[in-house]
Amino acid sequence: MTMQASELAAVKRSVSVPLPVEKAFQLFTDGIGTWWPFVTHSLGGEETEDAVLEPRVGGLVYERRRDGTTEEWADVTAWDPPHRLELSWRVNPTRAEPTEVEVEFVPEGAGTRVELEHRGWERLEDGPEARANYDTGWEFVLGRYSEAAR
Amino acid sequence: MAYADAIDAMDALGEPMRRRLFERLRTGPSSVGELAAGLPVSRPAVSQHLRVLKEAGLVSERRDGTRRIYRIEPTGLAELRAYIDSFWDDALAAFAAAAEAESRKEEE
Repeated sequence: MTMQASELAAVKRSVSVPLPVEKAFQLFTDGIGTWWPFVTHSLGGEETEDAVLEPRVGGLVYERRRDGTTEEWADVTAWDPPHRLELSWRVNPTRAEPTEVEVEFVPEGAGTRVELEHRGWERLEDGPEARANYDTGWEFVLGRYSEAAR
Repeated sequence: MAYADAIDAMDALGEPMRRRLFERLRTGPSSVGELAAGLPVSRPAVSQHLRVLKEAGLVSERRDGTRRIYRIEPTGLAELRAYIDSFWDDALAAFAAAAEAESRKEEE
């Protein structure tokens, strides 16, 4: 059951929306606080009331709680509006092991197909030596990522 | 399972020694002593790692005399898997709903 780095499969998801790429990109980024499901998908849960994506390379993505405190989710590592952005996504904000989230906005008729890939799970390990010993754990846990992505 | 819980579980497994212990348990329940055998860490360290896995809902323990026997907690793992599977589905579904609302607004 040994697996290669490439088999620490990236999560791939896409969704089609009835907005032109410019608007889709804007909603995804500038408007992230209007649609992100905070209750289930934030560190603060019900305490989280907003999310912000700073629109530039080096910008931060963070959540803001009702008490005004913030918690970082990601850094913006590529910013190419309205086509593509890349985030260095901290699966756990307290550990320096970011994964990559790449989002592409592809014109599809009058709308846009948003393609998201979340990769770099192998980085959650301590490097190649460690990997050789622990190669089945993520496969076991994350295996369904790749199934779902097909 | 909330985001924070999923992070706890993923973080617990993100530490190499904990993942190694977790994988040893895949072959069946084991005592701390059995788990520590052959690993370059002390038994107290192994116990500490097991505690983290337990707090993350990934393993459970029972006492057998003076020994503590650990096993994989299938429920915790299933929850984590389901959560990971659904994370981006949920986020993108919410995005699509917002985009459709935006699109309708513009048509009006």
